[in-house]
Amino acid sequence: MKRNLITLITGAVLIVIFALLLFTFQVRQSEVAVVTTFGRITGPRCEPGLHLRWPWPVQQVYKFDERIQNFQEKFRETLTADQISLITSIYVGWKISNPSAFLNSFKDGSVTAAQGQLESLLASDNITVVGQHPLSDFVNVDPKQLQFDQIQAEMEQMVQGELQTNNYGIQIEFLGIQQLGLPESVTQAVFDRMKSERNILISRAQNEGQAEAIKIKANADRQANETLANAQAEATRIEGEGVAEAAKTLPVFQENPELANFLLSIDAIKQALNQRSILFFDDRVPPFDLFHGTLTNPPSHRP
Amino acid sequence: MSDEHNQHDPAPEPSATPMAQEDAGSQALTEALRSSFAIVKFVMVALVVVFLGSGFFQVGTQEKAVILRFGKTVGQEQEALLGPGLHWSFPYPIDEVVKIPITEIQKISSTVGWFAETPEQELSGNLPPPGPSLIPGVDGYVITADRNIIHTRATLYYQVDDPIRYVFGFTSASNTIQNALNNALLDTAAQFKVDDVLYSDVAGFQEAVQQRVGAQADLLGITVKQCNVESTPPRQLKDVFDQVTEARQNQNKVLDDAHSYENQATNSAEAQASTIINEARSARARYVQSVQADAKAFSDLLPNYEINPGLFRQQELVQVMGQALTNVDFKTYLPTTANGKPIELRLLLNREPPGTKTAPANP
Repeated sequence: MKRNLITLITGAVLIVIFALLLFTFQVRQSEVAVVTTFGRITGPRCEPGLHLRWPWPVQQVYKFDERIQNFQEKFRETLTADQISLITSIYVGWKISNPSAFLNSFKDGSVTAAQGQLESLLASDNITVVGQHPLSDFVNVDPKQLQFDQIQAEMEQMVQGELQTNNYGIQIEFLGIQQLGLPESVTQAVFDRMKSERNILISRAQNEGQAEAIKIKANADRQANETLANAQAEATRIEGEGVAEAAKTLPVFQENPELANFLLSIDAIKQALNQRSILFFDDRVPPFDLFHGTLTNPPSHRP
Repeated sequence: MSDEHNQHDPAPEPSATPMAQEDAGSQALTEALRSSFAIVKFVMVALVVVFLGSGFFQVGTQEKAVILRFGKTVGQEQEALLGPGLHWSFPYPIDEVVKIPITEIQKISSTVGWFAETPEQELSGNLPPPGPSLIPGVDGYVITADRNIIHTRATLYYQVDDPIRYVFGFTSASNTIQNALNNALLDTAAQFKVDDVLYSDVAGFQEAVQQRVGAQADLLGITVKQCNVESTPPRQLKDVFDQVTEARQNQNKVLDDAHSYENQATNSAEAQASTIINEARSARARYVQSVQADAKAFSDLLPNYEINPGLFRQQELVQVMGQALTNVDFKTYLPTTANGKPIELRLLLNREPPGTKTAPANP
């Protein structure tokens, strides 16, 4: 009855497989499961792995994704504390922290329903928190006055608190503003303002450039003149030094001032006569005194 | 699983049939059934081999793999990661293999602050003319610290650091990263002035965005490799922003010109100054030398003079006179008139070039 044995084994294997399918369930990594027995939660939290169960209709298994899920809000127009209309969009990373509470809160543990709930919470908290801050808390040149992070933290805290109070089984992992805008009509006004700011910058650049250039040039001229004046002064000083040095030779001339004067006069004449010059002498001046009284011929005609 | 199931069922049937009917007349049929049973057996074995063989899988150089046994990771933390090579796991439904790209650098872009444009439009550069205002939800932008509206977009390059966290921690890690990048852009822009973002501190802005995303990177299990940020003024105001740039360039040009004038002026003044000083020095040297030479000549002449001053003077004078008269072009001699009175001479002086001088020398 070898054939029968094979049949039996095959049958047994099949039964085992079938039983495993019926009496066990797998929870995948990143998932968490809740088991209900006749509708009552008996296994509030099943970690990843293989688990035993009673088949339907005794026990029912609900599996939930335990990973952080993204949810982003649509644009929402809110008023800041200083009555400026601001368009914001918030994103959150949320996860199911308490699967049984989650199952109790939302029919069949519907993620869509949970997101709807989250959206309405975010909407009201967004309006509340934005309404407590002026626009200068959102955008500011001074990092100390900027409260961007604080605003996000406030929102997160508020949403978190409400989720806990209502015991939704949801937890916020992070929350952030991912879009900050102004209503369409305001953008036009902002453009106009930006335009006039730019125009101011243009004229400032032009004027500042000119003024600065003039300053630089004037400064350069002043510096150049100063340098030249200093050089002149230095030159005068040097010449003075020369005179002083030359004066040291004066005692030599003192030995015979008469000769000295004579030599100077001679030099002066020599220099004066270097140029084209006309000289008038009478006949008493040597060497013309030689002609004195020699000539009596009639005066020649003047050239 | 279901394959195996189906193959088992037909197996007992052919074996059972010949048992029940031990009729010799249908031996041919039995033979036929036997051989078909053998084929079925072979197919069964082959299927089992294929089933087990399907457990082999390959992990590429740029990825890691994780085996989930009954849904739970095999091994703890980093040990659960399988590197490149050939691996084996139990086939489904016992094991499941999850592959995660890791060494490959991944890229994510944020266009939350960019105006509406399609990739085709960006490639061709043909954008429809901008409207007078920005429509929320269609045109993205960010608000700068000085409440200007500008467009900015970022591309983040990152690497998965903690693959288990990346895959099992988030339903969509890349979405989360994108959100974080959007948030970083928005928040960083809120602290920077428009001119810093666009012109004077582009690198600083990029750095700040990267730093902010990087702060959230640990949470996400990634490492930020690079973050490129591109910013532009609103297209509606492109002209006026360009004009500012132009005006600033002009300003720089004017300043450059002024500085080169400054250089030139000071340099030429320096040069002139040194010329003046050098001339003064050489004049001094010349003067001192000539005076010294005079003194020497004086000393040399003194003994001669002292011998006979009158004669010496006469000699010198005549010598000078001789030289002077050689240079003179024409000479006229006017003798004394008979009555002893000198002849009266009248001179008409023209305005003449300064080279010519009249020098009456009447010793």
